[in-house]
Amino acid sequence: MERVLAAVALLGASVLLKSQGLPVTYDRLLKADQEPGNWLMYSGTYNSWRYSRLDQINTANASRLKPKWLFQMRTREKVESTPLVVDGIMYLTRPENDIIALDAETGRTLWTYEYRNPARLFPCCGRVNRGVAILGDRLFMNTLDMHVVAVEARSGRELWRKQMFDYAAAGGYAATGAPLVVKDKVIVGMAGGEKGVRGFLDAYNAATGELVWRFHTIPEQGEPNYTWSADSGERGGAATWNTGSYDPELNTLYWGTGNPWPDTNGDVRLGDDLYSCSVIALDADTGKLKWHFQFTPHDVHDWDSTQVPVLADGEFRGRARKLLLWPNRNGFFYVLDRQTGEFLLAKAFVKQTWTKGFDDKGRPELVAGNEPTPEGNTEVWPGVDGGANWMAHSYSPLTKWLYTFAREEHRVYSKSVYRAPTTEEEVAGFRGRPQFPPEDSFGKVIAIDPGTGEIRWEHRVLTPPWSGVMATAGNLVFGGTMEGNVFALDARSGKLLWRFLGNGPVYAGPISFLSHGKQHVSLAVGDVLMTFSLDGE
Amino acid sequence: MRTCWFVLSSMVLASMAPILTQELPAGVVAQPGSTPALKNPLDTPADAELGRKTFVTSGGCSYCHANDGTGGRGANLTNGEYRFGGSDEQLFETIRNGIPGSDMPPTRGPDPEIWQLVAFVKRLGSQGLNEKASGDAAAGKLIYDTKGGCAGCHSIHNTGGILGPDLTRVGRRRSLRFLEESIIRPEADLPLDYRGVRVVMASGETVTGIRLNEDDVSIQLREVNGSLRAFLKDSLKEIRRESPSLMPAYGSALSPREIEDLVAYLSSLRGTP
Repeated sequence: MERVLAAVALLGASVLLKSQGLPVTYDRLLKADQEPGNWLMYSGTYNSWRYSRLDQINTANASRLKPKWLFQMRTREKVESTPLVVDGIMYLTRPENDIIALDAETGRTLWTYEYRNPARLFPCCGRVNRGVAILGDRLFMNTLDMHVVAVEARSGRELWRKQMFDYAAAGGYAATGAPLVVKDKVIVGMAGGEKGVRGFLDAYNAATGELVWRFHTIPEQGEPNYTWSADSGERGGAATWNTGSYDPELNTLYWGTGNPWPDTNGDVRLGDDLYSCSVIALDADTGKLKWHFQFTPHDVHDWDSTQVPVLADGEFRGRARKLLLWPNRNGFFYVLDRQTGEFLLAKAFVKQTWTKGFDDKGRPELVAGNEPTPEGNTEVWPGVDGGANWMAHSYSPLTKWLYTFAREEHRVYSKSVYRAPTTEEEVAGFRGRPQFPPEDSFGKVIAIDPGTGEIRWEHRVLTPPWSGVMATAGNLVFGGTMEGNVFALDARSGKLLWRFLGNGPVYAGPISFLSHGKQHVSLAVGDVLMTFSLDGE
Repeated sequence: MRTCWFVLSSMVLASMAPILTQELPAGVVAQPGSTPALKNPLDTPADAELGRKTFVTSGGCSYCHANDGTGGRGANLTNGEYRFGGSDEQLFETIRNGIPGSDMPPTRGPDPEIWQLVAFVKRLGSQGLNEKASGDAAAGKLIYDTKGGCAGCHSIHNTGGILGPDLTRVGRRRSLRFLEESIIRPEADLPLDYRGVRVVMASGETVTGIRLNEDDVSIQLREVNGSLRAFLKDSLKEIRRESPSLMPAYGSALSPREIEDLVAYLSSLRGTP
């Protein structure tokens, strides 16, 4: 009898756990900042602050942080995933395209959804995935073979799957970023900028999986803003492989676009190559372009502008504005007016050699000698992986500073022969010796004042990073290094307050949530999702 | 994942069967008591040249490995060391399927193209094979063992020191020019795994060695005498990296003739056939 009661009690607890917190309505997503115990979308909130309003863990007690539980993924792939947390349940993607629901208190698995990709895939940079989106009781993920799937959050049961595009077309497409849900739509980007594809951004009906709109990031020949020589734009890249942001008041999506193809040889794609290396502002309902701003016209350095857009309101030069903050791969921190796309500021946050400055429209004035060369140009900064890359930035409303994990890196830029557009033909390549002494390069967490672009403090680390950062109401900034040092810094001074030696490269961004009323911080270190809390409790 | 990898490998092998059994049956080399190993059926210099063209163009290999195979984002392919095996068959599988857990993707294109890539990649890692040194290898061995003192740091067939790179196969991997330059200017092409550092402790004591590992908290060294040492950076006054190679430059210590002989000896080190 006792056993039966125990079983019933366990069953009850289990059912309760699995039914908590759903549905996650669009209204809840709009007010995600009002649910600091949860992490409801990739960047936390639509403004992509990746900021936690939790302050149980703070500058006074961060030294008491201890690991509470680990989730071992047992994958050899890079883990770039940001988990979601909804009232005690964590939803995590594991490479290649599995979704796992975990008990956020213990890390124990509740269910696993396994998506089978074809054996041969064509991602440029690893079989990675950066996470899911949620709406109602559904999770959404895009896959390396260019599908979008909807999965029931309570069970992991697949509800629909739609093909975005033929993943084997051109040189190969892939989808790696976390989707963004807006209203009843799932916004999904794609990758393939190294493969001669034509970029686009899609919106799917969350209920049915039907394609609602598609925005091509390269106009058709003859359309306005087709700024490519001959037909080069048809394979010009400008992929949308990271996650964007959304302003509900303006009903505007902001999304970054990737490099033009071929990456380091611009001779066959003369012109500005719009809308590569740009931010595009789209009407969220229709996908129509409102405005665009190109950070790097006619890029030849592989300087994708696929960073997560950060939306912040504030006074800029004496005038209240809706701002768009953007530490770019080209090494400059930009401030734009996000209503109009007006250029307001650009200031270097890493060493740069390629531009003398900008005109009043934000167009750079190039410095000769910074182009890739056949023998390899070793005197160009920032390096080919950029001053910033896809890693998450964070904005704190307490300090009003933007935090980013910047890369100071010495690399080589090589230009290869280009012959023709398809996969069986020429692609960009590197010549020469791209290796330099490790001490030539390093990483730094920096706090940027958006009003001036000044760096308020920097925390230097050994190796150029791939980790995102998260600021919290406890005035902390969390992140991790390539050696697996997970850290908490004082958001006001950059002082190191806590460190854990995880000994695995960090490729993901941190999140924070409540479990049983206590604040936790999670971050993937190597292939282990680590969750920390005060005293490990 | 491992299951998929196995299945994939089987599929690839199956897909190669027509080439091996019909078009190029001589490509299969039967090993007594084992699964037949696959030998590259397209291994002529002309094939390797076609492989090179694919490498730097449609293969996309040079994006990570550089046009000359010296690496960068991807591994250095010129040192003849392959994490997943350097046989024809193993290289074919690595190129065809990619390496899970790394940025190395599968490679498109027909099997013959992959075999040509194998031919090119193998030559990248065996640049010394087709060269004939002008010096006296026997005299060079004497210099290696005595005047040069090379065995104090380098190992050949597990005999010798462990501070420097193993030289058992160096004559296969490296060109004569590379060998000569390494003797005269060791810092010219120093493997990142063998960088020398000097740490200065709070007491003023200095320790010199090869950097084995490092993060923001600590640094690990192999001391010149072979000892393993670890230091917390907080406890150090300084870490000096100004002399990246611990190997002496022999340009003045040895005569041109002696260097020529030493190069000849090193070039004769081809490993186990």
